[in-house]
Amino acid sequence: MVNSKIAISTAAMIAIAAAWSGPASATGLSSNVVAEVAVETSAANVIQSMADQAMNELTDQSLADDVRRKKFVSLMDRYFAMDVVSRFVLGRYWRSISEAEIEEFSVLLQNYLALNYANQFKEFNGEQFVVGDETQKNKDTFVDSQFVRPDGPPVNIVWRMRMFDDSYKIIDVSIEGLSMGITQRDEFTSVIQQNNDDVGALTAALKAKTGL
Amino acid sequence: MLTACASTEPAQDTSDYDPLEPVNRVVHGVNGAVDFMVLYPAAMWYRDIAPEPVKTSVASFVRNINEPLNSFNALLQGDPDQAAASFQRFIMNSTIGLLGFNDVASDFGIPYRREDFGQTLAHYGIGGGPYIVLPLLGPSNLRDTAGIGVDYVANPLTWGAQNSDTAEALYLGSVGLTALHYRYATINQLNELQKSSIDYYAALRSLYRQQRNKMIRNGGPSPEFAVEDESASFDFDDAVEAASK
Repeated sequence: MVNSKIAISTAAMIAIAAAWSGPASATGLSSNVVAEVAVETSAANVIQSMADQAMNELTDQSLADDVRRKKFVSLMDRYFAMDVVSRFVLGRYWRSISEAEIEEFSVLLQNYLALNYANQFKEFNGEQFVVGDETQKNKDTFVDSQFVRPDGPPVNIVWRMRMFDDSYKIIDVSIEGLSMGITQRDEFTSVIQQNNDDVGALTAALKAKTGL
Repeated sequence: MLTACASTEPAQDTSDYDPLEPVNRVVHGVNGAVDFMVLYPAAMWYRDIAPEPVKTSVASFVRNINEPLNSFNALLQGDPDQAAASFQRFIMNSTIGLLGFNDVASDFGIPYRREDFGQTLAHYGIGGGPYIVLPLLGPSNLRDTAGIGVDYVANPLTWGAQNSDTAEALYLGSVGLTALHYRYATINQLNELQKSSIDYYAALRSLYRQQRNKMIRNGGPSPEFAVEDESASFDFDDAVEAASK
């Protein structure tokens, strides 16, 4: 009886609904931060230029899907530390494959992400991207930003950046407190584990998804 | 497991612990089939048919019906201000908000915050324990499952439902609306996730853990996790080091 009464209020749904549709928490965003920062290469500036470039290149509705995906991949090449991200999402399994296999995996990963995310830019209509404050925590700089939608609460996005050779590269993205890198790592390592610790099973699945 | 790691810091789980995985995957599959037959079509219909104002009112009602528990758990977590805020919201929205269908308290600057007994246990340092996929309810863990039980018993509406037909009708109605609302609120994201993921079960498991961590720290900034188990965890520093080799 207890079960049937509380039955349908699925806990997962509550969790995920709160993640995506919950009201924006007060993150102290201020849109004029970018203007105040003098240094051209601040982490927030990097995010701003990436956003400008993405808005310019990806939102054109006449673009063919595969062209948009290619542009998305080259944006990732430029702004993400893909060598770090590729190893992070493999977890400790990165050790069990060769350098060439990591390179191959990295290309597959980028195309997989492009497949999942690039098309979202096609439907842009009236949304705005506002870059906010940056915070330093240990080795990383976290840049706050908000994706402001005309119909619904703003979405908080935090970019985790690290300095490599004097320039900031993105190593993780959190949307409403959920880390894409950690989610992807947990999913990918589970796929590898389910297949007797064989990374090849993951690469095969990515190939099937991306058609590469 | 529940009492083993009590400390004064709120618990934040850093990796998935899923010793019951084979059973969980079966329950996950059954839940998906039941969802596909019942809740999913209802939520799709609701998404496409119901006008925006109706959806907003239902969302307010669903939050309002949970306020006594939010208040109770905030109090247990030693946060009387938040307990008072939730209680105040409940009184305002149930009266001038017309049975909770209008969230006037938010307009007055008292924001909603969900607190449940799982979060209360976590507040006192109790970790999630083994991951559990509950029949019909979906992703949970040992701590949060215990929390659901305590919240059920503590909910004034469930006492009322034992003694009054009106309260029982209200309770059952609220359960139905809650299910419909949350399924609708997550429908686009879950569709996307199901389509894009390679292991939907593992992706949901990770998101559940992260979402609970976030609720436990009340939306505060994510702490730099201390690595508890080197063999199980692989953090960003490890990845940077790996890439530089």
